[in-house]
Amino acid sequence: MFAEFVCHVCGDRRLIRHFNTAFANCNRAAELWDTRGNMKDRISRVIIVGGGSAGWLSAAVIAAEHCIDSRAEQPFELCLIESPDIPTIGVGEGTWPSMRATLQRIGLSETDVVRECDASFKQGTYFRDWQSGRGETYSHPFTVPIGYADINLAPHWATLPDEAAFADAVTAQTALFSDCLAPKQITTPEYAYVTNYAYHLDAGKFAALLARHCIEELGVKHILANVSQVQSAENGDIQSVTTDAAGEVAGDLFIDCTGTKSLLLGEHFKVPFQSCKTYLFNDTALATQVPYAEENEVIQSCTQATAQPAGWIWDIGLPTRRGIGHVYSSDHISEDEATDQLLAYVRNVAGVQDATAVVPRKISFRPGHRKEIWYRNCVAIGMSSGFVEPLEASALVMIELAAGMIAEQLPATREVMDIVAKRYNRKFLRHWDQIVEFLKLHYVLSSRDDSAYWQDNRAASSTPDRLSELLLLWRHRSPWHQDVEAVDDLFPTASYQYILYGMGFATKPRSTACREQDKKRRQATELFEKNAARATQLQQALPGNRELLNKVREFGFPKL
Amino acid sequence: MSQYEVLNNEKHRQLRIKTGHSAALGDAVMHVMTYPMEFRDIQSYYPILFTKDPGTGGFFAAAVLGFEADQNLFLHGDDWDAPYVPALVQRQPFLIATGGDGGNQAPVVSLDMDHPRVNQDDGEALFDADGNSTAFLNQKIALLDTLHRGLQHSKGFVDTLLQHELLEQITLDITFNDNSKKSVQGYYSIAEERVYQLQGDVLESLNQAGYLQPIFMAVASLPRMRDIIERRNQLQVQQEV
Repeated sequence: MFAEFVCHVCGDRRLIRHFNTAFANCNRAAELWDTRGNMKDRISRVIIVGGGSAGWLSAAVIAAEHCIDSRAEQPFELCLIESPDIPTIGVGEGTWPSMRATLQRIGLSETDVVRECDASFKQGTYFRDWQSGRGETYSHPFTVPIGYADINLAPHWATLPDEAAFADAVTAQTALFSDCLAPKQITTPEYAYVTNYAYHLDAGKFAALLARHCIEELGVKHILANVSQVQSAENGDIQSVTTDAAGEVAGDLFIDCTGTKSLLLGEHFKVPFQSCKTYLFNDTALATQVPYAEENEVIQSCTQATAQPAGWIWDIGLPTRRGIGHVYSSDHISEDEATDQLLAYVRNVAGVQDATAVVPRKISFRPGHRKEIWYRNCVAIGMSSGFVEPLEASALVMIELAAGMIAEQLPATREVMDIVAKRYNRKFLRHWDQIVEFLKLHYVLSSRDDSAYWQDNRAASSTPDRLSELLLLWRHRSPWHQDVEAVDDLFPTASYQYILYGMGFATKPRSTACREQDKKRRQATELFEKNAARATQLQQALPGNRELLNKVREFGFPKL
Repeated sequence: MSQYEVLNNEKHRQLRIKTGHSAALGDAVMHVMTYPMEFRDIQSYYPILFTKDPGTGGFFAAAVLGFEADQNLFLHGDDWDAPYVPALVQRQPFLIATGGDGGNQAPVVSLDMDHPRVNQDDGEALFDADGNSTAFLNQKIALLDTLHRGLQHSKGFVDTLLQHELLEQITLDITFNDNSKKSVQGYYSIAEERVYQLQGDVLESLNQAGYLQPIFMAVASLPRMRDIIERRNQLQVQQEV
């Protein structure tokens, strides 16, 4: 008995005796599947080149989603090749609150992270001297304004009679900054919070913890070797990398985490670099570490960012030391001048003795990113994809986003990889544009006139067009929900509000009358009062940052 | 504030301990710590829930006595209205000290000098004129010894519950007879459904460690909650009368 069968792989009509033989004469099927029925161009081997936070965090996020098993019916392998000779740059000691969800997702205990990465709690950024350079300050906290889903408090804040800072009026979190208080209590379960928070951490120790977790718990294969050559396949993809200690390492998808070297995407594929120096001038960092004067000195619960004549200085409190660094524009000042300014800051915050001991490490970088971030079967994560000054700690969060998207959308086959790549590039180029615009916002609003650097920063030619447009719009109305372009926009509209109104930007009152003005006014007044009460309550209930960190060391956070 | 001193028959010879129960003697507490070896006695009269030590974040089992801070619904004037008084109440004002760090030192009996029960005039003497401990003190020392062993055993119990995810957070939303509402938070109970899913080796190890019975004791204690709600309702009636 034969039956007519329309092959849904090639579209031909064939007479078949049994369904099992239906595809036996189909050439297209033979191209697609092997005899066991597995897809031939299935993506089953992912190779990460480079360790560091980028490599290990990417490995952890992907391996937390996809079981690694080389002997499974449908095998999946993840190898990380790390050079024993190249030191990691240890970039980024500041994270975003998204890091909590990322760490939880990869199965690390928060207690271990705090204990092993010399981590402290970060609740936002505290800016000094950005507006006029005369000691003025403002805050960018991680908590959105109270009632943010329902009501825009910005216009109501503008009409308040007293001169409360915007952030202080709309969130209780900034009240914790000045007293260096923690975002939670020792009874608060792991990763849960009283006020939203992220971490400051030692990037070197963080990478080491991730590496151990990846290798011991998640089955990531670790290859210690230097990559000497890249081998191409016929279609132009990377077929394998040649290493000194482990020979040829072949793969289906290569993730370039080789730092600024950008070995695969930059050097091998020669994907061009898009400089952002027109907008963001800073291209050099002088980083140092300063000990605490006393063992139990308070730890700041936010990043301190203090503007300088040609850049700014970061000051990050870890349990064992402060990380301090000057990031500046080498076009505007010399290394000697930059060093003097850094030492002056250290003398001021830590004393003369510590300042004389400082030997800063110089890191030069090109602000910008690759024009394509996923090209053929290679995607870059971390500094190999791009880097800008760490003003809003965007480096680690971009790694989380990149690895998260790859883990979620891991192409099933080579055929669909190009579609994933196209969509990935669209998304991440948008992220880069938004980072550049948001960082630039901190500079264009300044009225500092003490150097060419600040004047140049306000030049129309140094401002991205989209940002200029937004600033014009926001002269007439404050940033609000419809300003969001995509659900995964890197910076929430609340962040724009915090920077704009922290920097003294003025939005004009609405030109039309609001139909429910009185009701909204009352609602706003109630929220301002509620916020003030909550601030007092939190100040009483929350322990100091140092105090909580000591307790975590001793007792650990409860899991529940 | 508590101020503990190691008990000494010279230094503390003149001291007396007030007995009985009242708010003035420090008994007005909304819950008191208990431990698995005591669950059998506790579950007859008090609900057993779990809560966190605000100083360490660590879980401990507690006999619930009231619904808000300083409210002990078993305290009626100078009377504790239940046949069994939790050991952690009975032991006041004494404590077993293990010398800090990991408790390597032999446990010693200590005394909270700031406790309202401690005085020079009323109550039971600790030592006779020759400095020998009294029957009252001997009885307290025996209690402390039992307590010490019970609390050592308890630490492993809570860790085991957490390891097998057998605790779950609960919120008690109670409406009293006077229509007032109370939402009690910060308590955890045995996750009963998960207990019934335990199998083989885990069940055996729980049983061998002596943890299986207290798990069911804690579950069985929950209906006692009705009793303290009723006590709270009666409180209202008494105040109105």
